[in-house]
Amino acid sequence: MTPCTVTTGFFVLGRCGRPSVADCPRCRRRVCAEHADPQSGTCPECAAAQGYGSDDPHDPTWIVRYRRRHYEQAHASYQGGWTTYDDYDRGAFNPGDDWSYGSGDFGAGDDGGFVDS
Amino acid sequence: MKHRAAYFAFDRFPSAKGSAVHIAQMADELFDVFGGGLLGVLGGGDLPRYQREGTREIARFGERIPNLLDRVEAFSAWVAAHLAPHRETLEICHVRDPWGALPAVAAPGRGYRVVYEVNGLPSIEMGHTWPLASPRTLGKIRELELFCLERSDAIVVPSEVIGGNLRGLGVPAEKIHLVPNGAEVGPTPPRPPDAPDRYIVYVGALQPWQGLDVLLRAFVRLQDLPGLRLVICSSLPERRARTVRRLAERLGVAERIDWRFELPHADVAAWLAHAAVSVAPLTGCARNLDQGCAPLKVVESMAAGVPVVASDLPAVRELMTDGEHGRLVPADRPAELARAVRILLEYPEAAAALGARGRRRIEDDLTWARSRAALADLYRATACRADRPAIGGDTHVLA
Ligand SMILES: [Zn+2]
Ligand SMILES: [Zn+2]
Repeated sequence: MTPCTVTTGFFVLGRCGRPSVADCPRCRRRVCAEHADPQSGTCPECAAAQGYGSDDPHDPTWIVRYRRRHYEQAHASYQGGWTTYDDYDRGAFNPGDDWSYGSGDFGAGDDGGFVDS
Repeated sequence: MKHRAAYFAFDRFPSAKGSAVHIAQMADELFDVFGGGLLGVLGGGDLPRYQREGTREIARFGERIPNLLDRVEAFSAWVAAHLAPHRETLEICHVRDPWGALPAVAAPGRGYRVVYEVNGLPSIEMGHTWPLASPRTLGKIRELELFCLERSDAIVVPSEVIGGNLRGLGVPAEKIHLVPNGAEVGPTPPRPPDAPDRYIVYVGALQPWQGLDVLLRAFVRLQDLPGLRLVICSSLPERRARTVRRLAERLGVAERIDWRFELPHADVAAWLAHAAVSVAPLTGCARNLDQGCAPLKVVESMAAGVPVVASDLPAVRELMTDGEHGRLVPADRPAELARAVRILLEYPEAAAALGARGRRRIEDDLTWARSRAALADLYRATACRADRPAIGGDTHVLA
């Protein structure tokens, strides 16, 4: 019996592990009775993704669509506010230019946390 | 699922970093007050892009965009898209950086309030972590910060120093609310099985402004103490330790250092609790002095009851008094740091008394429960200000 692989927990993550009863119709992963959406049978990840207009959580094109929409809005509402970055600005922020010279990959701890204690 | 509250952070979550503890406490309180909510954070690795737990959702931005400015702009767009479905129901949007704040404050005709939590300013921070960043670029980021600060409804800061800095930038004092970092005081966890007999401990990240070079130079001066080891619990992965390790080798102390990487929070608490001394050697650079910082490691060391030796910076003085809750030493002075550590090692009873008083200071003034209560009051007051009723009318008004 394949266990349900849905990620559980909010602050400390785990795997569900209950016996699975069905396939998620979108991502095909095995889900348990508790984690299958009562109507559509999708897993919680796919169900949430649909709520944000992304049919497939692994579809890389959504970010392009979002970005375009955001900047159309941005140009309408931020006039006279902050200025946009040019190539010169961007040039200083390529991977490997920061203090940890040479790490350009994206593992844990490589992102965000500008003001970590 | 429609939410009344959302929290966005340009930070991986969960993670081993201090910021993750902070985000967990703040978001948990927000979602308690509003009966659920959306947490928007950074993902990647094995983390699922979306999660649902009861009335709470986590959405993770996991795009692999190499250039940092490209990445933060894409994050802003992503935040805008994740706010949009909650337009009609949202009452509070809590943000933690200008990249999340921008889409939150600038959404046309927004009906929710924005709480901007300022732990630091990227316009200062990035000058330290990205040496090629020009003043002109940092100036643009400052402009963005001011744009967001001006349009936020309430601003939360973890220290007076940061609050003062924001007032200096023209943010009205009545908009700024102090919610300090907290810690939990609990039973002493068991000693880690692999702990050396006697060790001093460093907990946290490895950026230059953390002052690990000062600590290593101080450690050189403690070489005569038999069996004394330095345990570094790095919140960053091993590959980020190269610079610090190289320095340790050059100084001839590498053999006496034990490294632990990305330990779960509970394990770090155990390493703290059984250390002889915990050291927070923050440097006296502009990042720590002007911007301010709120070093969680100081609070967590005090909560563990371990005597702390920390740099004498205004932000640290807010947390502890020299000679009462621990020791404060001038920043960037290895000899002074080494002397303070040596004295604590030589007088274990006095050191234990400092540790016990530090622990009491946390119990009395700096628990998460206390900070969360202050935050809950702020959420309620901000969401229901009389001049603009909360969306949805009376049904959402909380006592
Ligand atoms: Zn699925
Ligand atoms: Zn399940």
